[in-house]
Amino acid sequence: MNDETSVTDALLRQYLLGNVDDEQRQRIESLFLIDSFMRERVLGTEQDLIEDYLEDSLTPTDKERFLSHFAQTPKQQRKLRITKSIKDWAVSEASSTQPIPAKATDGSGIRAWPWKKSVVVPVALAIIVAIVVAAVWLNKRNKRLAIEQELAQLNTPVSLREVPPQMTSRDLTPGTVRSSQQEIEIKKGNDIRIVELRLPWVQTEHYSRYQAEVLRVGGDESFAIRDLPAENNGQYAVRLRLPAHFLHRGHYLIRLSGITAGGSLGPTEEYAFTIAE
Amino acid sequence: MARDLALPPESFEEILVWLNSDRDVAASMYLQLRDDLTKIFTMNRCSDPEWLTDETFDRVGKKVVVLRQTYKGDPRLYFYGVARNLIREDLKKVKTQASLEDIEHRAQDIEFKEETADLREECLQTCLEELSAEKRDLILNYYAKEKQAKIDHRAELAKRLNTSVETLRVRVHRIRNSLEKCIEQCLDRKAPRK
Repeated sequence: MNDETSVTDALLRQYLLGNVDDEQRQRIESLFLIDSFMRERVLGTEQDLIEDYLEDSLTPTDKERFLSHFAQTPKQQRKLRITKSIKDWAVSEASSTQPIPAKATDGSGIRAWPWKKSVVVPVALAIIVAIVVAAVWLNKRNKRLAIEQELAQLNTPVSLREVPPQMTSRDLTPGTVRSSQQEIEIKKGNDIRIVELRLPWVQTEHYSRYQAEVLRVGGDESFAIRDLPAENNGQYAVRLRLPAHFLHRGHYLIRLSGITAGGSLGPTEEYAFTIAE
Repeated sequence: MARDLALPPESFEEILVWLNSDRDVAASMYLQLRDDLTKIFTMNRCSDPEWLTDETFDRVGKKVVVLRQTYKGDPRLYFYGVARNLIREDLKKVKTQASLEDIEHRAQDIEFKEETADLREECLQTCLEELSAEKRDLILNYYAKEKQAKIDHRAELAKRLNTSVETLRVRVHRIRNSLEKCIEQCLDRKAPRK
């Protein structure tokens, strides 16, 4: 078990309440400094704790500890007030925009309905089909938006500078110099969260930004990640990070294009790899 | 507390080089490290987190030339070692602690500061308008329910977005963090501290 996974949310909560020994405290704080994912977890757990306090869900002992840790300085008090105003806004906004629940009917409305059953049934069926189609489309769209957001977040210049845990890195070879035997196979273990691919750019013209389009061979979707920077550490290359849950067994293709000053796509290199689970 | 010494420019440059050979990366690591150390001092209930962060950089700055040659490992952990010493020194100094009554009294102040509630509300609305519709909806949905109901609600929301509750929490935290900073800046502009 690595250091990060052995730190549970419950332990983080105790840490934030000042309820851990010195050894655990140092372990958590060291990870907080050097591991961005752990930093996010600590701050997220802190937020949960603040919410629990504002909802009066803490035990008296935890409340006492909470107050001595989170309501000491004017800055902390201000943070609590701001969080409270965000929560209050969301709760009141949500309750005012919620649809009014349907009232129980005694059936009189149906009896008064003037249309014949032969008309009502096909219309109702058509409405149901339309709702199902819309729901499927919306679900697919939401999934796509979530993946696009995650891909963009993983590949910001700031994220690319960090080395997150549970990441595997592989070098791919551009299609223009690759022989058919050289396709890289990546084994996706349970311990891998992020796959980093290094894409050498062998063309003579260099660009300040690149776009990578990722698609699964035989699949019907592709995802484009824009504004990727290039690096020149001995070899001119672009790094691309993909979340492991995005990748499934099969062949993948990446099309990397330079983005011209005018914003259009320049020449393209192709890279292929296989995912084996 | 006012500081007698600022970090000399040459030490600052040495620290940047020690953190990372790429100056842009080093600059962003430096800023993050400052924030993180201040947070750690705060979490350890130190008396003046910002001052202690400055002091950490000063102490490291005095040795950084040698450290660059001799220290093995992540430089940020060396900063943490110095910060731990400062935490111990600070805790020895701070003997007086607020009583529970004082703390409760302060907590009540939080709830009854009606005079600033309108201003906070105004800033909240201004900052919400600066968020994209997608982010605003996510915040609204995430905080829509309270207590027990919120657990199921957030699990459902995560499922709908095809992500985990953990990832959703991190995503909301980032948005809320920027929203809070915006509100703080707005409050500072409209009601500057004396």
